Amino acid sequence: MSPASSHILEADGIQLAFGERRILSDVYLRVQTGQVVGLLGRNGCGKSTLLQTVFGGRHLADASVRVNGQRVVPAYRQPGLLNYLPQVPLLPERLTLAEAARMLRVDAEQALADFPDLRAQLSRRVGELSGGTTRLVQVLLLLHANTRFSLFDEPFSGVMPVHVETLSDLFRQAKTRKGIVLTDHRYAEVLPLCDVVYLLHGGRLEQLPPDPEPALRDRGYLAG
Amino acid sequence: MTISTYLRALGLFYRTVAPFAVVFSLLIFAAAAAGPFPNWPLPLSLGLLLTKLSTFSVIWYLSEQLRPHQYWLYLNLHIAPWQLWAGVVVADTLLFSAVVLLLHALLQ
Repeated sequence: MSPASSHILEADGIQLAFGERRILSDVYLRVQTGQVVGLLGRNGCGKSTLLQTVFGGRHLADASVRVNGQRVVPAYRQPGLLNYLPQVPLLPERLTLAEAARMLRVDAEQALADFPDLRAQLSRRVGELSGGTTRLVQVLLLLHANTRFSLFDEPFSGVMPVHVETLSDLFRQAKTRKGIVLTDHRYAEVLPLCDVVYLLHGGRLEQLPPDPEPALRDRGYLAG
Repeated sequence: MTISTYLRALGLFYRTVAPFAVVFSLLIFAAAAAGPFPNWPLPLSLGLLLTKLSTFSVIWYLSEQLRPHQYWLYLNLHIAPWQLWAGVVVADTLLFSAVVLLLHALLQ
């Protein structure tokens, strides 16, 4: 993929209900190369389900995922199209960082270049690392993977504040070659990163104005 | 997905499923040796293979219940769950057959 090529990922028709409770109701999500899209909402509002459905790991009838207008369901089967970081640990504990990078076809040295302390731990097993370090490594590997899109479910969770700043810079660099969707409750870190912000509320996905903070404050998502 | 990636992923996945597979293989051996109809050492037969194959539905169920998030890495490698399970069924059944043949040759 050349750096200049631009791609558009769209997902719609996504509906999910547990009994009487409607989680997702005819959602439309769009992200393109060069964008970081923030997906905000309260716990249990369906953010993870939405990302998993877009990725193809969760099958929902009528869900449509398209890249440049072409249907791609399940999207994960298309090499080089997209990757997804779940909230739960991604890598088995017995895998070393170097092995994990090799499996994901990522240059580990390059991916961890901004974190010298991590580069020294390439031969260590995932299970030997702290939760925050494991999370950081997983984000870095998927961010550096050669995919057109990356979906991150709470990428900053457990990551040290000093690393969050560097990681945010890497997100900004990565968006020049891919489209990124992320969801996280750390709004102070997420909002400055985002080009587009969606709010998932009551099963509906609403695109917020370019300055989303007043709308989030009005609805009680940010402290006054 | 390349063959080497698939085999590496299959190896990783098989290690997570192997404890269940070993337990059910041992149960088959125990039933043959000490069950109501002893048949020891076990001959490799179609019935035995079907019995072994039938245990995979239980192994699959237990695996889904105990590790509901086990597939995310493999999906990121473009490998569908059915591709992993197909590899596990083939590899474990071959291993089981080899052990049965070996025991039969040694004990008879």
